[in-house]
Amino acid sequence: MKGMLAVIVLDLKRLWADRIRLISSLIQPLLYLFVLGSGLGASSVLGGRGYLHYIFPGVIGLSLLFSSVFAAMLIVFDRQIGFLKAVLVAPVSRTAIAFGKVLSGALQASIPALILLLLMPVLGLHISLLRLLALLGTMALAAITFSALGVATAARFRSTIVFPIISNAVLLPMFFLSGALFPLANAPHWLRLLAHLDPVAYAVDLMRGAMLGKTFFPPLLSLAVLVGFIIVLTWLATRVFASGEDT
Amino acid sequence: MSLSPAGPAIETLGLHKRYGQVQALHGIDLSVRRGEMFALLGPNGAGKTTLFSILSTLLKPSAGTAQVLGFDVVRQRAEIRQRMGIVFQEPALEQKLSVRDNLRLMGLFYGLSFRAARERSEILLDKLGLKDVAKRETQKLSGGQKRRLELGRSMVAQPEILFLDEATLGLDVDARRNFWAEVRDFVHAGGTVFMTTHYMEEAEVADRIALIDGGQIIALDTPKQLQSLVGGGVILLATEDDVRAAAWLREQGYTPEASERGLLLVNNDPATVLPALLGAMPVKTLRAEVHEPSLEDVFLKLTGRGLDTRFGQPPQDLHGDPQ
Repeated sequence: MKGMLAVIVLDLKRLWADRIRLISSLIQPLLYLFVLGSGLGASSVLGGRGYLHYIFPGVIGLSLLFSSVFAAMLIVFDRQIGFLKAVLVAPVSRTAIAFGKVLSGALQASIPALILLLLMPVLGLHISLLRLLALLGTMALAAITFSALGVATAARFRSTIVFPIISNAVLLPMFFLSGALFPLANAPHWLRLLAHLDPVAYAVDLMRGAMLGKTFFPPLLSLAVLVGFIIVLTWLATRVFASGEDT
Repeated sequence: MSLSPAGPAIETLGLHKRYGQVQALHGIDLSVRRGEMFALLGPNGAGKTTLFSILSTLLKPSAGTAQVLGFDVVRQRAEIRQRMGIVFQEPALEQKLSVRDNLRLMGLFYGLSFRAARERSEILLDKLGLKDVAKRETQKLSGGQKRRLELGRSMVAQPEILFLDEATLGLDVDARRNFWAEVRDFVHAGGTVFMTTHYMEEAEVADRIALIDGGQIIALDTPKQLQSLVGGGVILLATEDDVRAAAWLREQGYTPEASERGLLLVNNDPATVLPALLGAMPVKTLRAEVHEPSLEDVFLKLTGRGLDTRFGQPPQDLHGDPQ
């Protein structure tokens, strides 16, 4: 437990020391929200609300997804500069390091997402306290899922050049397939099929359900899928950390 | 933390390590006493980093056993890690955090409470002369200050044994002197040090030195005893044509070794041999010196090769993350 806490404190301290990372992580979601949202929103209305309102949960998902995976990139960076060795030779179990990394990534990703939530009144999005709490819960679940995805992937990489290329090549399709920017219900069959394999789709759908009260997937299915992803990905991350260099 | 079992600080028996087709260690038997400053000296690719990595629980051996402070390096890694400090060749600090935060956070990793980590880091900052730069970003420190901080990081949990891997590589003389003064303090307080180094003068401050080559310990003794293996002394000859001079010396039954300064000849009786050589050399001698044997000379005598890096490159990509 102490080891896990040490990982989390370390990563949060580093985020605070590198606040520019936090600020820059807001740029992409704000572009989607205000440029795409306002541009397309001017000529389309979805779900009985403005397009900007419709994509808001998707943009939160985008922020959580990219921020958590890029937080995991620190693992690759630490390995490259040698800092990871200092952590791995400390008397902390590899399971604690993996869990700590997953939770710290989720916490780091939650900060810009929470800042985006503060924009809701500006966008004219007013929800009840109950819905807000549900939204926060689903955001936490999504953040942990995406962070586990990032940690499980980053733990295998040794190059800070290759990892962002690969992760972008995977993250963007995951985001676009998720239904963050359009309703899956009206999407072609093949796209809906692919969305069923995409954890981002379940996370965004749950968040949208919490905010707007309408979901594409049954909420219980989404919860089960996300929890399943968390368990499998965290287990994979733990395995990579535990296997060390003698593999 | 309970005390470690009595017995040697380090003990290995028939330690082997293989990387695919490459046999990096060939049955190392080694015993390091508690409270000893022990140096491992050898050229690149000799196996010293592999041995260092196994002893510091970073690598698993392919065969044989190794114990550190009475604990097995494979089965009891956690017990060893709780009691060891390690300074890597490459920096292992968070460059954007302050000096103080680096120490405090490492304290948390070693199981200290927030309060204990804070107190311990203040003690170390004071002891290592880093109090004035405690708030400074680590990346803004000088090379010597960074190394001292690395040493502080390794000592945060009050270890019984310190592993130092080429710990002062790239430091100037003053910074190295300060670093080793701290290490000596640690040894005087009863700690054990196991280090690898390329610097002869650093190895000579160790209580005992193991010379390693081709994955085997070829000599192990105190610096004085090792130097006495050479006997006599070492002749340095700088000539107008070292290649021709070396060929001629080989014809005469000598084994000259090329160095930056000229040809080196290890000899039991240099005072008698040198005048005769100078009279018979087929090329003009520009400079001739006789000096006391160094560890480099010992290595030369034992292997016929020098210790410097010309003789081998480290195996590539063998040392990733700790296990």
